[in-house]
Amino acid sequence: MLAANDWLTIALAKGRILPPTLELFTAAGINCSPIESDTRKLIFRLETEKLQFILAKPTDIPTYVEYGVADLGVVGKDILWEQEKELYELLDLKLGACRLSAAHKAGQTDFTRGGTVTYVATKYPNIAKRHYLKKGRQVEIIKLHGSIELAPLLNLADVIVDLVSTGKTLRENNLVEAEVIARITARLVANPGSYQVKAKRVMTLVQQLEKALQKRCGDDKNL
Amino acid sequence: MTEVLQRIQIPEGVRDLLPDLAGQKRKLEELIQQIFSRWGYREVSTPAFEYSDNFMTDLKDGLENSVYRFPDEQGRMLVLRPDFTLPIARVVAVHFAEGPLPVRLCYSGEIFRYAAGLQGKQRELTQAGVELMGDGTAGSDAEVIALAAEVLQKTGLDEFTLCLGHVGFLEILLTAYDLLPQDVEKVKQLFNKKDFVTLKEMVSKLKISRQAKESIMQIPLLRGGVEILDKAQALLPPGADAQPLEILREIWSVLEDYMVTQFVTIDLSMVRMMNYYTGMVFEGYTNGLGYPLCGGGRYDRLLANFGCELPAVGFAVSLDHLLTVLTRQRKLPELLEPLFVAYNDSGREKAVAAAQILRRQGAVVIVDLQESTYEEAFKSGTEKGATRLLYCAGEDIIDADLDGGQE
Repeated sequence: MLAANDWLTIALAKGRILPPTLELFTAAGINCSPIESDTRKLIFRLETEKLQFILAKPTDIPTYVEYGVADLGVVGKDILWEQEKELYELLDLKLGACRLSAAHKAGQTDFTRGGTVTYVATKYPNIAKRHYLKKGRQVEIIKLHGSIELAPLLNLADVIVDLVSTGKTLRENNLVEAEVIARITARLVANPGSYQVKAKRVMTLVQQLEKALQKRCGDDKNL
Repeated sequence: MTEVLQRIQIPEGVRDLLPDLAGQKRKLEELIQQIFSRWGYREVSTPAFEYSDNFMTDLKDGLENSVYRFPDEQGRMLVLRPDFTLPIARVVAVHFAEGPLPVRLCYSGEIFRYAAGLQGKQRELTQAGVELMGDGTAGSDAEVIALAAEVLQKTGLDEFTLCLGHVGFLEILLTAYDLLPQDVEKVKQLFNKKDFVTLKEMVSKLKISRQAKESIMQIPLLRGGVEILDKAQALLPPGADAQPLEILREIWSVLEDYMVTQFVTIDLSMVRMMNYYTGMVFEGYTNGLGYPLCGGGRYDRLLANFGCELPAVGFAVSLDHLLTVLTRQRKLPELLEPLFVAYNDSGREKAVAAAQILRRQGAVVIVDLQESTYEEAFKSGTEKGATRLLYCAGEDIIDADLDGGQE
């Protein structure tokens, strides 16, 4: 159900990224306390602010925004990059910082099993395909949904492409990070229709968040 | 069985329209054409496919990988029309260049493209639009925008925004701040995608003054009414050409006369995908649709491709997108409900005569194909969704309301 036109609906990712997201929104002057107190519910309405939050699986957030059931969304750059939807990327929220990297077994030297094709296991088949295409490498992409580190250990793949934050999981599985493909943070994205029709509300929110971010890390000094 | 299954599939990106949607689409199309014609635009029709050379400008401008191309019997390349502006420009160059100018033309028909981002997932789209050729003033820019506003208003959309920009503003500002041509292109692309995160990263790395960087990062905030133009002027370095802003000011003033400025947001960060635009550009958005409903702008150099130098401006609205949105907002035009005419073994002549009179009066009438009893006719009429039954028994006519009881 679409919320009324004077409401703003924001899709937030459930899980690890939710607490820092709410913290940032709170710092930006948005009262998020009803969301923190009860995370089994999926839809939260802030009547006075005319704001509606929906909580969804991270990979579904671009879809909610694309179809306009949410005006805005908070989602990792990895997911945006993988799905390549036509969304406007308004702000880097600098949350959930990590990197998307290629990794392989420690001490490994041959990545093609003596041939020309590298087997790459990943949750990000599109990113991986584009990345290796650009390098002219011939690859076969194996899409997995989790525990990607298993693939090289069992010889299912020669290389993995996955998110790395501390590198602990890699080390524990005797894998080494070979190449950083991209630095990842959470972004504020908008549906183009909402961005135009609800211009004032969207711009106000962006400015509020920007101010909160600046306070947090003196962001604009690097301009 | 598998053969039958193959025969009933249709390709990705095209669709069947069933009753009542197909009729509602036709009604919208007629409504729009009627508005166009009241503003003095005369309809033209062009071929569904032409030589690919005629579309070279389109092909160079990013449609290269999204047009349907095929050879004719002599091996010359043809393309399925991906856009109406070029065929209309050709028609004007060939048939109207001698005047009197300006020429006001309108059209409605299908365009074909392999799905590209800005049009949703459909590959066959119906567009209706106008082209006003032979006048370079802000008056014709404003006329086309006001016409677009009237179309969207009359279709019953409950909320929409026309965002208005000018391709010259960004170009002038970026060049005046000493960006290299390739960087100007990159920055424009990022503005087009509204990827402000990458934009900020890129701008912070450019070797230009801090003031220039700050000015560029202010552009996304240049959205609003006519007052935005003063702020925009303040961002231009001294000596930079402010003509785009002057034109927008003039357009705004005409739009005030049309009383449509409440639908218009000036957005100086707007860039249209097609590179053939040379001046004012605009796009129409509504809630919940991730791509523009309509769009257009000024393209003063395009007709030169056809050997005829005329300024021109136009816009097109996508009927399919409009249909999608109106369905979602439950604002589709209503169609006439039918009357059902049935008869007994001696009533057919009377029934047909009655049906013909009612049809002449504009009613929708379904005549039964064989005789029936009154009870059968009542049941059958109700099944057909008719609101009224006329049952002819010999010379007598029973007139019954199918929603309620007999009258």
